[in-house]
This record gives sequence, C-alpha cells and structure tokens, in this order.
Amino acid sequence: MARVPHILKLLSGPEDIGRSWWFWAVFIAACVFMLVYPRWLSEFQATNIAYYLLNVPIALGLGLLWGYSGVLSFGQVAYFGIAGYTYGIVAGNMVGDDFGPIVGSLCGIALCAVVAAIFGYFVFYGRVQNWIVPILTLVLTLLLETFLGQTAGYQWCVGSVQLGGYNGMTGIPGFQLGSHVLMGYDFYYYVLISVLVIYLGLRLLVNSRHGKVLLAIREDPIRTELLGYDIRARQLVAFVLAAVLAGISGLFYVQWGNYITPSQVGLLQASLPVVWVAVGGRESLLAVLMSTVALNWLNYTLSSEGYQYALIITGALLVVVMLFFPSGIVIALARELPKCGLFGRRKGHAA
Amino acid sequence: MDSFATIVSVIYQFATNGAFLLLSAVGLIVILGMMNIINLAHGVLMMMGAYTASIAWHRNVPFWLCVILAFIVVGIFGAVLERAIVRRFYGRELGALVVTWGISLILSQGALAVFGPFLPAIPIPGGSVAVGQYSFSVYWLSIIALCGVLIAGLWALYNHTTIGLQARAAMQNAAMAKALGVNTDRIYMLTFSLGAGLAGLSGALFAPTVSIAPFMGQQFVAPAFITVVVGGAANVITGAIGSSVLLSLVKTPIGFVFGAFVGTVALLFAALIIIRLMPDGISAVLQRHIDRRNRFA
Repeated sequence: MARVPHILKLLSGPEDIGRSWWFWAVFIAACVFMLVYPRWLSEFQATNIAYYLLNVPIALGLGLLWGYSGVLSFGQVAYFGIAGYTYGIVAGNMVGDDFGPIVGSLCGIALCAVVAAIFGYFVFYGRVQNWIVPILTLVLTLLLETFLGQTAGYQWCVGSVQLGGYNGMTGIPGFQLGSHVLMGYDFYYYVLISVLVIYLGLRLLVNSRHGKVLLAIREDPIRTELLGYDIRARQLVAFVLAAVLAGISGLFYVQWGNYITPSQVGLLQASLPVVWVAVGGRESLLAVLMSTVALNWLNYTLSSEGYQYALIITGALLVVVMLFFPSGIVIALARELPKCGLFGRRKGHAA
Repeated sequence: MDSFATIVSVIYQFATNGAFLLLSAVGLIVILGMMNIINLAHGVLMMMGAYTASIAWHRNVPFWLCVILAFIVVGIFGAVLERAIVRRFYGRELGALVVTWGISLILSQGALAVFGPFLPAIPIPGGSVAVGQYSFSVYWLSIIALCGVLIAGLWALYNHTTIGLQARAAMQNAAMAKALGVNTDRIYMLTFSLGAGLAGLSGALFAPTVSIAPFMGQQFVAPAFITVVVGGAANVITGAIGSSVLLSLVKTPIGFVFGAFVGTVALLFAALIIIRLMPDGISAVLQRHIDRRNRFA
C-alpha cells in the first residue's frame, strides 16, 4: 500500500493541465455528477451522451501519439473500423454464447495491435521523415474503406456474418457481462467508467518514466537516442497503444449502434479525431477529453440541422484554431484565465 | 505481328499507370520538394481543376483551353491560399498538414453545397487507334506524351531559368539563399501556386475519365501520396519519374492479374518496403548517385 501516495503524486504530475487541489475537487465532483446525472435523463438521452463519450478513447490515443510523442496519424479510424468489424464477425458468429462479446472485443483489440505493430515496424524502423506517417496512415484507411465498400454480396461473409459492402454490417450484438446485455443506462455507465479508467491510466503513463521518454523524443529525437533510448521501439509502442485505444472506440461504437459502415473509416471520419485533438489542445489529455465530448455534442446538434454545413463548420473551426490557437483552445484558456484573475491564483486549471 | 502488338499493349499499360501516378502526384511533389510541406488539400485542388474544366467545357470552350484554364484558375487560388494561410505554417510540417486538411474539408463540403452532388461529365476527346488486335485510347496516349512535356518543362524551369535557380537555392539552404538576396517569400508563393496549378491541371486532364463530384479527389490521393512517399523530396524531377516508373512496375502486373483494387493495395505494401530500404525515397538515392558521378566527372 506504500505505493498509493506515489501513484497519486504521479497522477498529478506535470504533464497534463489541472494539478491543484481545486482541480481534483472539481474533477471528482464532475465524476460524481456524471454518475448520478442519468437519474434525470431518459434512457435515450443517456445513450446519446454515451455516444459523445465513446469517441474519447480514439481521441486520447491520438493525443498521446501526436501531442506527447510528436507522431501524427490521420488513420486512427482504420483501427476503429478494424476493431468494429472484427467484433461484429466474431461476436456475430458466437450469438447465444455468453462469452461471444468478450471474445469478440479481445480479438478486435488484438487485430488492431497486430496491424499497428506491422505498419509501425516499417515506418519507425525505417526512420522515415515526420510527414510520412500521417500520409501512409491516411492511405491505409482509404484502402480499408475501398476494400470494405466492395464486400457486398453473399460471397463476402465470414461464418454467418455478412460484411455488407457500402450498406455495412448490421445486427452486431451488444456487449454483455455473463448473460446481462448492457443497454441504455448500463451502457452509459460501462462507457463512462471505461473512459475514466483510460484517462487516468494515460495520465499515469505520461507522467511515468516511459512518458517522459516519449516527450523527450518529441522534443529532440537524436539527443534522446544518444542518451541511450531506443526511440524506434518507444514510438512503436506508443503507436500500438494509440491503435488499441482507437480500437476500443470502435468496439464501443458497434456495441452502441449495432452496425458499422465503411464510411466510418472514410476520409471525412478520419478527419474528425484530428479536429478534436487539435481544437482542444494536443499536449493535454484533459483538453482532448473535453473538446472531444464538446465537439461530438456540437456535431450531433448541427447534423440534425444539415450535415454538409456541420462539416464546413468543423473544417473552419480547425483552420481558425490552427491559425490563432496553435496549441488548442482549452490549453490557451488554461494558460490565460489564471492570469486574468478570474480563478484567483490557481495555476494551470481551466473549466 | 501478334507478339509485336502484345508488346505494344504491355508498354501501353505500364505507361498509362505511370502517367496516372505521375500526374496525380506532380503538384504534391513540387510543393513538398520546396517547402517540406504535404498539401492535404491536393485532392480538392484536383477537384477544383475538374470543376473549372467541366464548367468551361459546357460553355463551349475547347478542351485544351479548359485544361489551361484549370491550371491558371487553380494556380491563382493556390497563390491566395499560400498568402492567406499556408505561409504561417512554414517550419511546422504537421501544422501545415492539419491546416491544409481543414481547408480541404471546407472546400469539398462547400462544393457540395454550391454545385450539388455532381457536375455534367466531359466526354473523352479523341478516338482510338488499333495495333494488331488491340486498340488504344488516343486520349491516354496524349496524356502519356503530355507527361513527358510536363517533366521536360519542369526540368527546364528548374535548370534554365533564374527563378528555377533561386528555387533550387532556397531548397538547399533557405537562410543562405535569403542572405544572398533571393526573395524566398516570393519563391515559396510561386512554388505553392505552381503545385496547386499542376494539381488543377491533372484534375482537368482526369476529368473526362471519372465522374466529376465534390469528393472525386479521394480516388487520386491514395496513389498520389504513395508516389510522393516513395519518391521523396530530395529532387522533384528524379523523385517524380523514379517513383512513378517503379510503382507502375508494381501496379501494372498485379492490377492486371488481381484487379485494380489489389493493385493499389500492392502499392501501399511496396511503399512500406521501399521506405524501410530507402527512408528518404528514391530521389535521395538517385541524387546521391548523381552527386557522386558529378564529383568524379
């Protein structure tokens, strides 16, 4: 038990905004609020909020990769799709078996990790220039979309599950623990608790020794290497971890909506995680978490007005943020607001 | 005679694939070589070129003029884009990637909102010629020829004009070039404008062969990016030629046997293996070779 204070200290380490007692008080209050909030919501509204939350892992993974390790990926949705489709195939073939969804989830995550490891091996061990990773990951996701799009027809099935071409895969079973299927409120809690665990886990990671090495690679790869670290292996591990997190979002998505289409790995979807991370602030996990929920809510609200304008607004937001708040809106607020005296003398805390 | 025709047909297949890759990527490579920036709005600029061509063609402008028009219109647009937004991102490669991506989101969705889901098509100009039992599209033959002209033009521009000399100086050492009185700001603007214009030109050239829609650029970006990754940024011309020839050698036989999609997948695998062997692309390897030969000459 002697490790508990150590872990708490690590959790509140310098690599994320929000480290004061005030922040943690607000954070815990927010968590409690999120836990009791569904009491005032209909089951439908709770499911909607679960949708905003289920995109958080993919965004946090990209934040870790881009903000903390300095490697940008445009293809995180490829892993989202790989996990979603794998889960659909495995769980769909094990309908009736209580362990189907768990086995399906594990297979989905494992496949993400394998694909990312193979892809990352060529990229990182080739020591390519910075701009090559985003380009090749984007190509990967575009090819995946093309492939999945042409899988219409009865010859494209695995066991009893059809891939379904552009119409996508439907009737994917929800997640279940034992014989209890998680739906409605239960699904909300399942996603909420997973997201909290992932956030706190990543916060531990970035403040740990391994996280510091990633930051060092971002700041100066050659110097880090000369200090004796294998930067290729470190970056590969971060890449695989980000892919697994994207896969977890994909799992949540298919368990939430029970369907997935190839457009989920298309060019437009691929842009969204980059937008969430850039707008919030890539160098803070908390900023990424907040902007992901906020922008998903915004996008959901806008798309009920007309989807085409929603994407124009998203694109404009991205350009404006990149021009005027290159470090992200939440981070900029966290730096500026304490100076204005709005929050007394608390440091590094926003929202 | 039969075997002669088959050989011609095989060469034609390789050449069309190579020309396709070269044309898709050339605008991207020009910008990358100069500024080390990947222009993710490339696909959208190609779309704008095709839109310009389609609108002009249906106002009875002859096709060759449509293509030139597309080059000029998109080139000017590129210059505006560079002045307004892209120039703030020099030295921040990843920032430039993300911001050009945002621009492409706005433009493609904007095109959808303004022009609707598609524009009237342009019929393929020219007929076909027959050699033995095979027939070849005159249009694609002229595109292949045009690729040669384009590369020769770029070569002359970089090697035989003052601007080209200044551009190569800025590529090698921007700070030094600036100190020697080269207006690098202007060079960057012209290069970005040229790259955008070339994207528009290829968009217009591909316009008769595809459906003209807001997201038409998507089908070109994957092959274009692979070509650029394999080519590298060390030398625009050797990169463009070397990579499109090499990738055509991969894509043509695989695509012929297994279909177009598997051909494109093979491109990705080829790219992964090539960057593992030559991380800076073919152009870096060729450039080293050229440098060594020049030293001994």
